[in-house]
Amino acid sequence: MTHIEGRTVRSALLIPRGGSSMSEQNQTETPDKAETEPSAWSLIQSWLGSLKFSLFVVVLIALACIAGTLIPQGEQVSRFLVKNPGHHKALEFMTRVGLTNVFYSWWFATLLLVFSSSLTVCTLKRYRMIGRSAGAVRIRVIGSLITHVSLLLVLAGGVIRAMWGEKGVLQLSEGEIATSCESQTGAPMPLPFAVRLVTFELELYKTPNEPSNVGDVLYVQWPEKEMMVPIAMEATNTPVVVAPREQAGQDNTFQVKIERYLPDFYVDAASGEAQSRSKVPNNPAVYVSVIGAGVTNAEWVFARFPDFTRHKKPGVGPRMPLQFRFVSSEAKPAMGRSQGPVKAFKSTVEFLQNGQVMLTKTIAVNSPTTFQGYTFYQLSYNPEDLRWTSLQVVRDPGVPVVYAGFLLMMAGLTVVFCVGPYLDDKRKGSEKTV
Amino acid sequence: MINLFNAGLAVYLGALVSAVVFLMSSRRLFDIIANVLMSAGALMQTIYIGIRWSEAGRAPFSNMFESLVLFAWSVAVIYLVLRLQRNIPWLGAAAAAFSSLALAHASTYETAIKPLMPALQSNWLTFHVLTCFLGYGGFAVAFLIGIGFLASDRKASTVKPAMRETLDSVMSRTISFGFLFLTLGILTGAVWANSAWGTYWSWDPKETWSLITWFIYAIFLHCRFMRNWSGRRAAWIAILGFLSVLFTYFGVNFLLSGLHSYAT
Ligand code: HEM
Repeated sequence: MTHIEGRTVRSALLIPRGGSSMSEQNQTETPDKAETEPSAWSLIQSWLGSLKFSLFVVVLIALACIAGTLIPQGEQVSRFLVKNPGHHKALEFMTRVGLTNVFYSWWFATLLLVFSSSLTVCTLKRYRMIGRSAGAVRIRVIGSLITHVSLLLVLAGGVIRAMWGEKGVLQLSEGEIATSCESQTGAPMPLPFAVRLVTFELELYKTPNEPSNVGDVLYVQWPEKEMMVPIAMEATNTPVVVAPREQAGQDNTFQVKIERYLPDFYVDAASGEAQSRSKVPNNPAVYVSVIGAGVTNAEWVFARFPDFTRHKKPGVGPRMPLQFRFVSSEAKPAMGRSQGPVKAFKSTVEFLQNGQVMLTKTIAVNSPTTFQGYTFYQLSYNPEDLRWTSLQVVRDPGVPVVYAGFLLMMAGLTVVFCVGPYLDDKRKGSEKTV
Repeated sequence: MINLFNAGLAVYLGALVSAVVFLMSSRRLFDIIANVLMSAGALMQTIYIGIRWSEAGRAPFSNMFESLVLFAWSVAVIYLVLRLQRNIPWLGAAAAAFSSLALAHASTYETAIKPLMPALQSNWLTFHVLTCFLGYGGFAVAFLIGIGFLASDRKASTVKPAMRETLDSVMSRTISFGFLFLTLGILTGAVWANSAWGTYWSWDPKETWSLITWFIYAIFLHCRFMRNWSGRRAAWIAILGFLSVLFTYFGVNFLLSGLHSYAT
C-alpha cells in the first residue's frame, strides 16, 4: 500500500481479537479537494504531525530521560565527584553540553515543545477525520484524540506551574508568626497572609517490651519473633554471641556477633574505614555479623537511622534474614529525639489576616492544607529540637489543568481500549447472526 | 502465615512441573493439573495477601517482599483469565515459572510486617501499587509471549499461521491492558506525590524510568495499530518494554541508589 504521510490512514487503532477485520485496516482517507497543491499547512501536517516524526521525538525524549537518570544531575554531581575523583574531566564535559541538568535544560524544554507541536498538529489532523469515520472506528479515533489532548493538557499544566507557580519552604518554631517563606533560590517569598505555628507533634511507633533503662540494646528480629541483646558498653570490640534458636529445624539457627561498637560513627574519606569521631555517642553504630543457614554476612546498624541497614548494596552475597534495631540510651538528646520508627509528625498552624485567625488546621505528611491558593505540606522537622517544623509552601495554578488532563487521559484510554473493542465484538457478533 | 506463602510457592512449582510434563508428553491430563494448580496457587496467594492486609491494617504493598508477592499474583491471575479465552500450550509453563521465580526471590527479602513511615501512610499507596503491578503483570505475560514467539519462530515452518495470529493478538491485548494500568499507576502516583509533597512530578529516577517504560509501550501500540507491526518486530518491543519495567522496578533501587546512599 502506498501512502503519503498525513493523507493515508494506515489503519485505525484496532485491537485484534481473533480474526481481525482487514477491511478496516486499509481504509483510505480521501484527500481534501482544497489541498491538491502542497500548502504550508499540508507540509507541516505531513511532516510535523506524522507518526514517524512524533515517535522519533518520543525516542529522543526517552534517551534524554535515560541520560538524566544515569548521569549525576544537579547537586548529585559534587557528591559523585567526592566518591569518584577520576571522573572529573568527563563530568566537566557533560556539564558543558548540558547533560548534568537534563530536565531543566533549554534543549529538553525544546524537545517537549517539539513533542507538543507534533501532537497538536496530529490532533488537528485527526480531528477532521471524526466526521469521515463511523461506528467502532469513529469511537477509537475519538478515544485517541482525547488521549492526545489529555497529554497536551498535562504539559500545559506544567508550563503554567513553571510560569506562575511558586514554591518555598517555611521554617517555624512554636508560637512564631511568619508572613513570608524562603523560595528555592533563597530569596524571600512573600505570603498574602500570616502563618503561626501553634504546636508541632512527633508520634513514634510503640516499641513493645522495651525497658526504659537498660543501656544500649540490640534487637534481633526474625520472622514473627524478636529478641533483645544488651550491649556491654565498656567491653567495646568484645563480641557478644547469641543463638536465636527456633524449635523448627536447624536452618533457623544463627549466630549473631556484635563485632564493633562506635559511639560516633563516620567513614574516613581517605581510607574508606568506619571510625569513631569521638567518644560522645553522636552517631552510635554497631557492626553486626551473622553466621548460619549458609549465610555469612555483616552490616552496620545505626541507632539514629533505624531504616538505614536495609539499604544494602547488591552483590554482597545472600541477605541475612534477620533484622536489627539498635536502641541506644545515651543517644537520647534532651529534646527527646526519636528512638523507634517515626509514625507521624504534624504541625498545627493558624492562618491570620489583619490580625484575625481565619483558619486553624493540622498539617501532616500526606494531608496538606490549602489557604488562599497556597498549599502547605508537612516537609520535615528538626530532630534535635522538636519545637521546630518545616513546611513546604506551594502555589500551583496548573494543578487543575494537570488533573483535568489525568481524568481525560483515563477517559481516552478507556474509550480506546475498552469501549472500542467492546463495540467491535458486538458488531462481529451481530455480523455472525445476520 | 509464612507457611501459606511457602505453600503458594510450592503449588506454583507443581504447576510448572506439570506444565512441562504436558509439553513433553502432550497428555491433556497434565495440562489440566497444571491449570488447577495455577488456580490453587493464585487462590492461596489471594488469601495470603488478604490475611497480611488485615494483620497489618493496611494494604500489604509497601516493600520489595510485598510487591513481589503482588507481581507473582498478578501474572498468575492474568494468565488464568487469558487461559479461559485462548490456549497457548506453553504459556502455562512460562507463567508458572515466572510466578515461582518472583516468589522465590521475594523470600530472600525481609518478610516481617513493618510499620509504615509517614510518607507511605496514604490510601493512594494501595491504588498506586495495585495498578502498577497489574500493569507490570500484563507486560510480563506479553514478554513471555514475545520470548516464546521468537523462540518458536526460528523453526519458521512449525509455527502455524493460526498460532501466530493468536500470539500477536494476545500480546497486543496484554500490552493494551498493561498500558491502561501502568498509566493509571503513574497518574495515581503523581496525585499521591502532589498530596504528599506538593509536586506531582519531580524527575526522580523511579518516575523517570516509569515514563521511559510508558513511552516504549506507547511506541509499541502505535506501531502495532497504526503501522501493523506484528510478529518478530512487535515481540522485540515487548521484550524491550519489559526490560525497562524490570529496570524501573529493580535497577533503579539497586543500581541508581549509589548516588543517594548514606554514610559519607
Ligand atoms: C497515551 C498514549 C497514546 C495513545 C493511547 C495513543 C493512541 C493513538 C491512536 C489510537 C492513534 C490512531 C488514531 C486514529 O485511529 O485515527 C494515534 C495516532 C497517533 N499518535 Fe498517539 N497515542 C498516545 C500517545 C501518543 C504520543 C505520546 C504521541 C507522540 C507525540 C502520539 C502521536 C500520535 C500520532 C502522531 C498519531 C497519528 C499518526 C498519523 O496520523 O499517521 N500519540 N495515537
